[in-house]
Amino acid sequence: MQDETLFDSAPVVRFDRITKTYDDGGLEVEAVRGVSFAIAPRRFTMIVGPSGSGKTTLLNLIGCIDRPTAGRLEVCGQDVGALGDDDLTDFRARHVAFVFQSFNLFPVLTAYENVEYPLLLLGVSAGERRSRAAAMLDAVGLAAYGHHRPNQLSGGQKQRVAIARALVKHPALVLADEPTANLDTHTGAEIIALMRRVQDEQAVSFVFSTHDPQLMSHADETFAIRDGLLVEARS
Amino acid sequence: MNMSKSKWTSRPSLLVVALSGLLLAGARAWAAPPSAREIVEASDRARNPQQSFRSTLTLTTYRNGQARERVVLGVHAKPDPKPDPANAGGARPFKNLVRYIDPPRDAGKLVLLDASKMWFYDPASKTSVRISAQQRLVGQASNGDVLTVNLAHDYTATLVGEETIKDADHQDRHAWHLNLLAATGDAVYARLEYWVERDSYRALKGKFYSDSGRLLKIAYYRKLADVLGVTRPTETVIIDAVDANLVTTVEGAEYRAQELPEAWFQRDYLPRFEEE
Amino acid sequence: MMTLKIAFRNILRNRRRSMMTLLAIAVGAVGIVLFGEFVRFVTAGLETSAVDKVGHLTVFRRGYFAFGAGNPAEFGIDDYAGVVRAIREDPVLAPRLNVVTPIVSLAGIAGNFDVDASKTFLGTGVVPSERDRLSRWDEHGVSRRRVLRESGLRDDDEARGIVGVGLARVLGLCERLRIGDCPARPAAPRATGARLDGALAGLAQADGVAVAAAKGNEPPRLDLLAATAGGAPNVVSLAVSRAEPQGVRELDDNFVAMHINLAQKLVYGRSEPKATGIVVQLRHTGDLAMARARLGALFAERHLDLELRDFAELQPFYKQAVGMFRAIFAFISLIMSVIVLFTVVNTMGMSVMERTTEIGSARAMGVRRSGIRRLFVVEGAILGAIGATIGAALAQAIATAVNHAGMTWTPPGQAAPIPLEILTAGSTGLVLRVWLALLVAATLAALIPANRGARLPVVDALRHV
Repeated sequence: MQDETLFDSAPVVRFDRITKTYDDGGLEVEAVRGVSFAIAPRRFTMIVGPSGSGKTTLLNLIGCIDRPTAGRLEVCGQDVGALGDDDLTDFRARHVAFVFQSFNLFPVLTAYENVEYPLLLLGVSAGERRSRAAAMLDAVGLAAYGHHRPNQLSGGQKQRVAIARALVKHPALVLADEPTANLDTHTGAEIIALMRRVQDEQAVSFVFSTHDPQLMSHADETFAIRDGLLVEARS
Repeated sequence: MNMSKSKWTSRPSLLVVALSGLLLAGARAWAAPPSAREIVEASDRARNPQQSFRSTLTLTTYRNGQARERVVLGVHAKPDPKPDPANAGGARPFKNLVRYIDPPRDAGKLVLLDASKMWFYDPASKTSVRISAQQRLVGQASNGDVLTVNLAHDYTATLVGEETIKDADHQDRHAWHLNLLAATGDAVYARLEYWVERDSYRALKGKFYSDSGRLLKIAYYRKLADVLGVTRPTETVIIDAVDANLVTTVEGAEYRAQELPEAWFQRDYLPRFEEE
Repeated sequence: MMTLKIAFRNILRNRRRSMMTLLAIAVGAVGIVLFGEFVRFVTAGLETSAVDKVGHLTVFRRGYFAFGAGNPAEFGIDDYAGVVRAIREDPVLAPRLNVVTPIVSLAGIAGNFDVDASKTFLGTGVVPSERDRLSRWDEHGVSRRRVLRESGLRDDDEARGIVGVGLARVLGLCERLRIGDCPARPAAPRATGARLDGALAGLAQADGVAVAAAKGNEPPRLDLLAATAGGAPNVVSLAVSRAEPQGVRELDDNFVAMHINLAQKLVYGRSEPKATGIVVQLRHTGDLAMARARLGALFAERHLDLELRDFAELQPFYKQAVGMFRAIFAFISLIMSVIVLFTVVNTMGMSVMERTTEIGSARAMGVRRSGIRRLFVVEGAILGAIGATIGAALAQAIATAVNHAGMTWTPPGQAAPIPLEILTAGSTGLVLRVWLALLVAATLAALIPANRGARLPVVDALRHV
């Protein structure tokens, strides 16, 4: 929890004239063009935009799983462009978590093991791992399902395990790409409520990409992107 | 000692004849018998001419009493020019250059015998080959050893006694029985038994033994004829004691004395040798 | 640890594919192990059949090996008994020796003149009791089930000997030695020449030179003619107790074995008897290099002009045969390993491709490239280990079954078939090496797709459908 005191009101993510181009079959495509903005911490922030707008690229950049071609990107105060691949990976392990549209749980691991996994990457001791993972599973209401494999869980249950997995390491930033897209409305609402609750308890920053109006209605801040450019910022 | 026929008579009177006869008999009875060595030397001299000569040898091989092979050879024999100091009275060792005359397929081939070495030359291939001791174990080369044995030079003789034996024509003969043991490394046979006719010093029979004590060959000497002024046996009958069915007869003819150049008896000369 | 747990579970995830991969690896292991054990059996057999005839080292007079074949007697060892004694009493060698025995090698003509047959022969004179001891050597235990035969010679019977079957046939001893498959001798050509003078014909008989009638139950006799070391013709009589097939035809047609005393009588005649070689047989082939060095030192100490040759030099066939088998084994091992390699590369490649999104998720979550690589390499290694273990066990089972099936085979250069054995005893080293090699092969094979997976850009991996 000590990380949060450092970034009390500093932006959790800062884009400074970020450009990302990639090679599409010989043709250079500018997915993101000179975008500059900052994301405030401990909020529900939405990134919206049509497909092909550069939204996914933006999220990838925020999640530190992609590098900007130009510009300066700061996440949690760290210039991530300056980090090598291993360092960047370690940074992600520490500070960034993901919740995917398709849940992306490890099929060979049980729910409990899936949740425990990020703590293993951080070298947390066995005893502490056990207590934190159990607590997280319990927090998402799946304490009884610890031994179930993902293929034995419903969509909603899987997403809850995913959230537990994302939060067990107390990250500064959670990226969720269409987290409610594969869930029915009721379950989706439950997931949203869960995330809100966790945000209050752990002071995590959530960055969403979504079309779900239910989720969008919870936005603290919204950034719209079109053709690689930021067009709107709404709080 | 020269044992030619004693010529005591000149113009005999009856008394002188009678006396001479008595004296002769007495002398005979009391003269010391010749030593083994003397006998051997004399028989060697009697058997082979002491000068360079040529002859023709006919070898016939009989197996089970049936003639199998007949070879005619022209022989050039030359005594070793260097006298052997240890063997003053004995025959000098010979070098023999033998040329095949018959059968036609072998005609022209040459064999050179020099002490213990034997060389074979084939004009068709123009190469001369040393015939090793291994290759002289059987066949005609083995007979060569019997014919060229030099008793005085290579063997030590002891006199066993006087015996009456049957010669090659089944006639009784009085002979000295000698036992000869190999004296030099060159001696081909470990032991010989030799029978030399008393008084004529002509060889009658020989038995040739190997190192292991087994009898290898028996030789009979017969067919006396005048050879270069001396009556000698001209035929040798060799009986193989190991291959019991094998008998070889070696008959010599056309003996003539002839000076033969030393150069002929060299291995290197073989390709150039030409019968004149 | 987690990597192992994940690797194991992923192997179980696609049971059929994993089974096929394990089977491929196992088959590779079985192939290499079984053939390797067979080669060990063949090599041990070849070594044994060389060492039980010519020992480990043979002492010769210097120059014999290069020139002695032309005239063995010329290269006799002076005071061979003294040399034998010196070797036997040497404190370093004594505990390692099995047999030290002199031999005489010779060549000559063997004749059965009763039937007008003669043939060149290559003979060996041996000390019978020591020769028998020599032939019982069996360090590797491959002769256990082989019928061991005595040499048929005896220390106290100098005149007794044995011959090769080919030689016996040529010399007309077929019936008397009870050899099967005797072709009829071609008839002698009709004699057409003149007959020998009757008087002469009687001479031979008179001298007692006659063809002795062969008595029924006595062993047939051969006359052995040879030239002595001094160049004189010599002959001895051999009582042939039996004919023994020699395996290699050239040897079978020329072989005579006799008592060393008889050989010396024949070859050295009136000179001092010598030996042409001294055979040294050790208890263990492993001591060969040490024994060779020690003997060399011993000879140098005593200023003896002798040389040493080991059984591989004396029987180049041994080296060639072993070399051939080893080459085939290396080739088969290589092929099998390559197949294993390809199988694992294929399997792991498919695995990587199927788990692309998983890789993306893991990378996003903070797993380093090395971690991804390690995951798949461990999977490959586990497959290799399990597959190789299954293979080793299977090989053992098959070997046991084969060994009890009563199969026989005739080794190259041997006369008779022997029980075929896949040599499992003492093959632990081989099995371990194969196991390790396949493990390494599978691990390396997995490395290729593992690297590919590790290098996947995270974004592309996540986007993969």
